[in-house]
Amino acid sequence: MENFTNETIDTKQLPRFEEVQLTSLHSNYWKVISFKNLIIFSILAIALVFLWIILEDSERFSVYLVFGIFLIIVNVSFVLNRISFKKKAYAFRNHDVIFRYGIIATNTMVVPYNRVQHVALHEGFISRFFGLATVEIFTAGGSSSDVEIPGIDKVEAENIKQLLMGKIQK
Amino acid sequence: MVRETNFNLPQHQSKIGILVLFFDSLYKFGSAFLPIILFYFIKADFNDKLIVFVEILTILVVAVLIAYLKYRNFTFYIDENLDEFIIHEGIINKTKTSIQLDKIQQVNIHQNLIHRIIGIYAINVDTAGSDKKEGNIKAISHSLALALKFKLLDNEVKNEGIIIDKVVENKEDTSLNVFLKINFLSLLKIGITSNYVKSIGLILTFFFTIIENLKHFRKEDVFDEDKIEKMVNNIPIYYGIFFVIIVMITIIFIINITRTLIKYFNYSIAKQKGSLLLSYGLINTESTILKPEKVQIVNISRNFFQKKLKVLEIKIKQTLSDEKNQNKAQIEIPGCNDFECDEILKLIFKELPQKGTMLQPNFRKLVFAIFLTIVLPLSGFYIFGIYINSEILNYSHFTIVYTIFFLLIHYFGFKNYRLYVNDNHIIKQSGAWDIDKEIIEIEKIQALTTSQLFWHKSINIGSLTIHTAGGNLTFQLCKFDKIKEYVNLWLYKIEKSNSNWI
Repeated sequence: MENFTNETIDTKQLPRFEEVQLTSLHSNYWKVISFKNLIIFSILAIALVFLWIILEDSERFSVYLVFGIFLIIVNVSFVLNRISFKKKAYAFRNHDVIFRYGIIATNTMVVPYNRVQHVALHEGFISRFFGLATVEIFTAGGSSSDVEIPGIDKVEAENIKQLLMGKIQK
Repeated sequence: MVRETNFNLPQHQSKIGILVLFFDSLYKFGSAFLPIILFYFIKADFNDKLIVFVEILTILVVAVLIAYLKYRNFTFYIDENLDEFIIHEGIINKTKTSIQLDKIQQVNIHQNLIHRIIGIYAINVDTAGSDKKEGNIKAISHSLALALKFKLLDNEVKNEGIIIDKVVENKEDTSLNVFLKINFLSLLKIGITSNYVKSIGLILTFFFTIIENLKHFRKEDVFDEDKIEKMVNNIPIYYGIFFVIIVMITIIFIINITRTLIKYFNYSIAKQKGSLLLSYGLINTESTILKPEKVQIVNISRNFFQKKLKVLEIKIKQTLSDEKNQNKAQIEIPGCNDFECDEILKLIFKELPQKGTMLQPNFRKLVFAIFLTIVLPLSGFYIFGIYINSEILNYSHFTIVYTIFFLLIHYFGFKNYRLYVNDNHIIKQSGAWDIDKEIIEIEKIQALTTSQLFWHKSINIGSLTIHTAGGNLTFQLCKFDKIKEYVNLWLYKIEKSNSNWI
């Protein structure tokens, strides 16, 4: 009890989460996203073509209009995905993990290590081809406070997992 | 005190409990088949009625059989070596549930009407895990229930003895120390003044389900739409609305009062081994143990009438194991006064959370809310009226009422929207009519999220979400500098201490 002190905390002196240099996702992850989109839109395009053949009065719709709308959707999706990819970034500090994400808004989530319940590594089907993995960090706060950081090099992801496991057990 | 029972050997439920199991399976059958049976009963001629009787008889016999088999196959015991509570059950599919004793969060003893008539109890063992990891014993005698509860929780005290104050433990042991009883009058006050929206929702769902079912069965016979339409058309519209509102309000009052009384009758709170023991209910008696360490968010709610009547409601959110179980993890204490509320808060937080530094939202929050709920719908309304169907414009005087109503709601909502921060607690105040104060302990924060829209960057405003194990707390659109400063401070507080959050 004698060593106990209770000094005023200078809030200006505290480490600032907003000034931390964040690491952006691996550039290969953009390929993963593009690939996924390519597959989805290919399926959609094939379905559209089939629909056009099957429907009897399909002449009523202008091919150019449908194709135009399709192109707009593809482009918008591309732009949104690009923004989302560019915005995602992470940092592992001594005591917490910071993850930034969002499209219109910039959300920055901070999870202290002493609140982490467990850590998992997830490799998606396409991600595996590019040697990438997702680090999933779970807390007791339910899905809203869980962090999933995609697009990390697999070796690095494994290291991160080990680091976190070490921090949790402490 | 309690008859010493050996729980180490597999035990059956109480024999008379077969009756409970019987009603239980009957109820399950009933809720599945009742609409069909009723329908046949009303519509069928005599021959069919015979079939219905045979059907009911079959159901009864099957229910008895199931109840007996369930009783036969249900055993429970405590494995002292592994420190586990084990339940075997199942007729065809056998299930073995084993619960580690130190994972047990709550042991609830409760009674429904049938339990009460035949004088036995049901016991619920709650854990932090998911739904599957829970033990329910449907029929057990009172002494056995108490003994089991004691046994289950006793083990926990052994493991968590450090947390619980030893002095208190020794002195009080299992003896109850009732410190709060909510009287009839307070319940009545709460019944009159709360849950309007919930009740309206209930009435509407009830109403629509009935209509839907009627339509489903016999479209033309039961439900003469023309007749009703004619009837509705004959009544002048204002008179009709007035009438409906009066009826609604009466029904809401009646439902609210009866619901509150039945649910919370004889509400008492006792202290036991550092936790709170709540028990309440007129027909079904519930008793729950609340541990202060498990409390995540405390919500104190009160509206204008309740303020005048000097009552308030407390809702306590505990660690939720599952998103689905959110309602179960929430404990309500209706109708206490300011003093009692303070006492409860002191017990939970070990001190009375004070309102500290205040944060206010930016006026843009008000503007945005008005834009979303007034400007957008009204422009939609007028555009529709002018360009598509001008008949709708006959009702345009309703828009004035609508606008005033929402302006008032938003104005008061904005005025009450505050975040108070002190050394250990965060209090968020919100609401237009029912003013809620949500209190969380900084120690219980799981994660923090700051959020900013890109066009808000230059004017330096943004939002903050505080994640806890009992749900989130969001405070929108206030000074972003301030938010970031607090986030840094809270992170520092959480991270410097090594204490576990539970």
